[in-house]
Amino acid sequence: MESNSAASASIWDQCLRVLRNDLTDQQFHTWVRPVQAIVEDGGLRLLAPNRFVVGWIEDNCLERIINVAAPMPVFLEVGSRLPPIAVGTDTTSSRRPSRRDWPSSRLNAAFTFENFVEGKSNQLARAAALQVAENPGSAYNPLFIYGGVGLGKTHLMHAIGNEMLRRDGTKRVAYIHSERFVGDMVRGLQHNTIAEFKRSYRSLDALLIDDIQFFAGKDRSQEEFFHTFNALLEGQRQIILTCDRYPKEVSGLEERLKSRFGWGLTVSIEPPELETSVAILMSKADAEGHYLPDEVAFFIAKRIRSNVRELEGALRRVIANARFTGQPTTLEFTKETLRDLLAAQDRLVTISNIQKTVAEYFKIRVADLLSKRRNRSITRPRQIAMALAKELTTHSLPEIGDAFGGRDHTTVLHACRRVKLLRETETRVQEDYNNLFRTLTG
Amino acid sequence: MTRQLPLPLALAPHARYETFVAGANDSVVATLRSQVAAEVIWLCGAEGVGKTHLLQAVCAAEPQRAAYLPLAESKDLDPAMLEGLGELAVVALDDIESIAPDPAWNRALFEFYNEQQDLNGRLVVAASVPPGRVEFQLLDLASRFRAANVFRVAPLDDAGLLDALRLQAQARGLELSESAGRYLLSRVKRDMRGLSALLAHLDNTALASQRKLTIPLIRDALSTGA
Repeated sequence: MESNSAASASIWDQCLRVLRNDLTDQQFHTWVRPVQAIVEDGGLRLLAPNRFVVGWIEDNCLERIINVAAPMPVFLEVGSRLPPIAVGTDTTSSRRPSRRDWPSSRLNAAFTFENFVEGKSNQLARAAALQVAENPGSAYNPLFIYGGVGLGKTHLMHAIGNEMLRRDGTKRVAYIHSERFVGDMVRGLQHNTIAEFKRSYRSLDALLIDDIQFFAGKDRSQEEFFHTFNALLEGQRQIILTCDRYPKEVSGLEERLKSRFGWGLTVSIEPPELETSVAILMSKADAEGHYLPDEVAFFIAKRIRSNVRELEGALRRVIANARFTGQPTTLEFTKETLRDLLAAQDRLVTISNIQKTVAEYFKIRVADLLSKRRNRSITRPRQIAMALAKELTTHSLPEIGDAFGGRDHTTVLHACRRVKLLRETETRVQEDYNNLFRTLTG
Repeated sequence: MTRQLPLPLALAPHARYETFVAGANDSVVATLRSQVAAEVIWLCGAEGVGKTHLLQAVCAAEPQRAAYLPLAESKDLDPAMLEGLGELAVVALDDIESIAPDPAWNRALFEFYNEQQDLNGRLVVAASVPPGRVEFQLLDLASRFRAANVFRVAPLDDAGLLDALRLQAQARGLELSESAGRYLLSRVKRDMRGLSALLAHLDNTALASQRKLTIPLIRDALSTGA
C-alpha cells in the first residue's frame, strides 16, 4: 500500500510539474488539482470528482499525462478513495470519512448543550431538546424544531446527538442534511444499493435530519423518508427534524408527512433578544480565550440583530484582527475592524424594496399591492407592507400612501394599527412580519 | 530593423503566496496561511486587488487535493461541477456573486457547502462585496456565508504596485528599473490585472523590437495603444 502510494505520488508529481508549466494557473487549479491519483494494478488511476473534470482532462491534457507516465498505463474516471491513514503527516486526521461511508454519525462535537446559550428566544426548544437527549424515543417523538436561518437549530440538533452518545456510546446516531438524504437515496437507486440505504437508515437509534424544507417537491424522497420515518417511530427510535418554518406551512410536502411531523412536539427558535446576543458573544469569546469588554459585546449585538451566525462571524473577525495586530479589543478597534461588515448592514431600505420583498414573500405581484383590489389575500400583504414601510423608512404617512397606489394617509394609519393588533393575536402574522423584517434588515 | 515574432507564452509568475505583494494585506495572507478545518474565509475588494491571486495561492499551498472555481464563468460551467468537490481539502470560489441570482447554482452550492463543512474542508470565497451585500437566492446559503471570516483586500499603494510590477517583470526575465516602473504607474490605470496585461504587452513589444524595457520603449508602446 505504502509503496503504491509512494509510486503514485512520484509519477503524479512529475505529471503535475509538467502540467503546471503547460497550463495557466486557472486551468491547473480548476481542472488538475481536484484529481486524485493512485497506482493500482500496474497502472496510474486518476480519480476525478465529476464528469466535467474528466471531460476537460480528456480534451486538454490526457495525452500529455500518458506521455509522462509511460510506459505505465493511465486510467481516468469519476470517483474518490479515502487517503491512506497515517502516512507521514497527520494533515488528514482531522478530516472525516467520505460520504460514501454512510451512515457515520456526522455529529459535530463542537455543538453541545454546554455552549448553547439560552435566552427567552430559545428556552422552550432547548428544554425540549434536553428532554429528548435524556429520554430518546420516548419523550417527544419526533421533535420538530423550526425557526429562521442562523438561529441555532442545527446546534441544538447536534447537541442532542452528542448528549445521547455521551450517555450511551453504543447508540447509533446519525445527523444528515436533507439534501444529502436525497443524494444518498438517488445514488442508492443508481447503484442498485437502495436496500442497503434503507437498512442503514432504519437500523439507527436516532435520526437527525436538518432543513427538511428541502424535501419539498421531491416526491420519491418523501416516499422513502415516510417509510423510514414510520419504521423508526414504530421501533421507538428518536427522530429529530429541523425546518425553516412551521411544518404545515412547507409547500410541496405531502400531507401525510406534515401530519406525522406534528405527532411529537413542535418547538420554535426565535431571533435572540439583545441580552441573549450579548451572552452568546461573551460565551464564544470566552471559549476562544479572548477577553471581550461588555461595551464591545453590546456594540456588536446591537448592530447585528437578525442572525446568530452573523454575530459569530463578526466576533471571529474581531478576534482574528486583535490576535494579528496584538491590539486590545476596544470599542474603537471593533468599529474599525467591522467597518466594511457593518456598512453592508446599513443598506437603505426603500418603499419599493419593501413592496418587492413582500410581494415575493406572499407570491403576489407588486402591481397587486398597488391596485384597488380588496380581497384578503391582497389586503393583508398590503397592510403588512405599509406597516413595514412606516417602521423601516423615514417616509411620512402621506408619502407611503402615495407609494401604494395613491392611498390616503389614514389608510396607512389604519393598516399600521391593524397589523399591530394582528401581530399580537395571530402567530402567523407575527411570524410573517418577523420574517419580512429580517429579510429587509438582515 | 527586423521584428521578431514572439511566441505567446504565459510567463506570468505562478500565483503563490511568495509572488503576492501583500502591502496592507498582511493580515489577510496570515489568516489564509493559518486557516483551520471547516473555516470559511470571505475575501472582498475591488477588481484587480489580487483576490484571484490569493485564491490560487491557497490552492497552490495545499499539499492535498484542491480546486479553484472561477464562478464568473458560471455561464459556461454546470452547477454539477461542484459534485465531489466537498471531499477536497480546500476549495476556492472566485466571483461568487455571479451565481447569487441563479437557483440551480444556489442549491448546488448549498449542498456542496454542507458536505464540505461536514468533512472539515476549508473554503475560501472571493467577491467584490461582503457576504451581507450579496443577494443569494437561497436564504439558507446567504445565512451560512454571513458566518464567514470576512476580509477586505486593500489595493496596493504605489510602492506596493511598483514591487509587484518588478516581481512580475523579473519572472518574465525583464529588467524594469524603478524609474521606468514609476513612469508606467503614473500613466495607466493602477490595478494589478490591467498592469499584468500591460506588462505582457510590453514584454512582447520589447522582444519584437529587441529593445530593453526603458522609458522610451514604454512611451512608444503606450502611444501605440497598449
